[in-house]
Amino acid sequence: MLEVKGLDKHFGAIHVTRNVSMKLERGERRVILGPNGAGKTTFFNQIVGEVAPDKGQIWLDGEEVTQLAVPDRALKGLSRSYQKNTLFDILTVGENLGIAASIHTHAARSPLRDPLRDRAVREIVAEVAHQVHLEPYLDAPVTDVSYGVRRQLEVGVALATRPKVILMDEPTSGIGPEMAHSFHRMLNELPRDLTLLIIEHDMDLAFDVADSITVLNYGEVVFDGTPEAARGSDLLKEIYLGSWEDA
Amino acid sequence: MFRLTPVRSGALGLLAALGLYAAFSAEYFGLEILTEIAILSMLVIALDMVAGFGGMVSLCHGALLGIGAYAYAGLTTMTGADPFLALLGAVVLTGIAGFLVGAVCAGSQGIYFIMVTLAFGQMAYAFFFESAAFGGDDGIAGVPRLDLSGLGVDLGDSRSFVLFCMILLALVTLFAAHILRSGLGRTLVGLKTNEQRMRALGVRSWRAKAYTFGISGMIAGLAGVLAAQHTMYISPGLLNWTVSGEALVVVILGGLGTLVGPLVGATAFVLIKHEVSALTPYWHLVTGVILIAVVMSGANGIFGFFEAQLERLRNRSKPAVEGKLKQGSVHDA
Repeated sequence: MLEVKGLDKHFGAIHVTRNVSMKLERGERRVILGPNGAGKTTFFNQIVGEVAPDKGQIWLDGEEVTQLAVPDRALKGLSRSYQKNTLFDILTVGENLGIAASIHTHAARSPLRDPLRDRAVREIVAEVAHQVHLEPYLDAPVTDVSYGVRRQLEVGVALATRPKVILMDEPTSGIGPEMAHSFHRMLNELPRDLTLLIIEHDMDLAFDVADSITVLNYGEVVFDGTPEAARGSDLLKEIYLGSWEDA
Repeated sequence: MFRLTPVRSGALGLLAALGLYAAFSAEYFGLEILTEIAILSMLVIALDMVAGFGGMVSLCHGALLGIGAYAYAGLTTMTGADPFLALLGAVVLTGIAGFLVGAVCAGSQGIYFIMVTLAFGQMAYAFFFESAAFGGDDGIAGVPRLDLSGLGVDLGDSRSFVLFCMILLALVTLFAAHILRSGLGRTLVGLKTNEQRMRALGVRSWRAKAYTFGISGMIAGLAGVLAAQHTMYISPGLLNWTVSGEALVVVILGGLGTLVGPLVGATAFVLIKHEVSALTPYWHLVTGVILIAVVMSGANGIFGFFEAQLERLRNRSKPAVEGKLKQGSVHDA
């Protein structure tokens, strides 16, 4: 579904990603781990087109998208959520989902119709709100809901474009462990044909959600395997100083 | 996105009632002022669409108004075109000009966006100023008004003309509100709020910006046509950047991103201009002090200030749900 071949990126003298390759099958849930500065977010930014790689190729569903602009990749089914909330704060939760859904249905282009009255848009909003447990908050302004709900909405907005692949940059960033656990359950309830690539610091999430784990260190893939193999890896224990041993 | 709140509906109704009362009770000089307010309101609504709702601060809306005026004057006086067809032609032409400006400027942000629009505006000004075909700095005289005698309306009469302008202003306000609630309008607000996220969701931002600029250009062009019909004479001064600057002052004075603000701002500005200029030639100083006071108060213009106060009063009577929402999470759901 998503294949990355030899992505390489320098920022001046800093080699941010080094010949990174990976292949995700349809429905696969892969977690990317790595310490701060490992190049995880830059890797994401290259996949969605916000940063141009120096070298390498990106393929989505059998089609090369390396040269496509950010919106064109999104329209082909590549969606993302951000580490910091990037919501439309002046709108309600439902309108946030509606904007995203209307881009998928092309109702967003119409200078005549209100997309939130469009049946297809309303169906997507209802379905996504159910998937990310936002039904009670649809009419609430974003500024009136809790941080945790905003994190759910961040994922919901990415889902509402009906993507094939979602890249999630630390979806549980800033929320407590108890809620993070519920968040993991919510991610596991998403449709199984949806491919997820998740950057995460939280080891629990990695082991709760991931079918496979990739570890980046200094921009380089140092581990690629199953969660079970990751638990037994001495290299990873060294990188993380054994921080997940109790997980 | 434009929200038609009860406060805004009430304000629009009140302005319409006051406008109609003035249109039927004022004498010649009052009708001239009212016409000026209606035309300026239309121009400022066009600017509010792009600046208030889209975050695209334009210094070429004076030029778009001028292009509309010149297109109408040129078509009617040089080619002998029917004034109604000339009006439609001028509006379409200005829409195309607006679309092109928007498409070119879409890639720039902030001060650079302002400067590019200023450059476009001054290029248009220089063209008409130097163009002998359009009368150079003498402009074009003898611009006709629409002939509505078939409907029993004589637009040569000041009262009929101001009512005609007010009807068009009402239609333009409804049209702008409809556009801003459409997919395009919501996309525009999304781009203003968070362009990076909108692009990541699949929006080609230049297209939404260019279309909105085109629609805004059509409204500015219609204001230009009415300005040409009002004075029955046009000159390159209509395209000068100071006209754009004045429109910007008016939209800030009234309240950005509200659609009601332009009407309030235009009314306040024109009334201050005429009343204060009767007392002192330094009326711009008074306008400047008022503008500074409005901006420093932190309110969104005159209308924004009253709207915030009234909304606060309305919200006091609502049950408090904020606490419940603030506690909500996936864990509770």
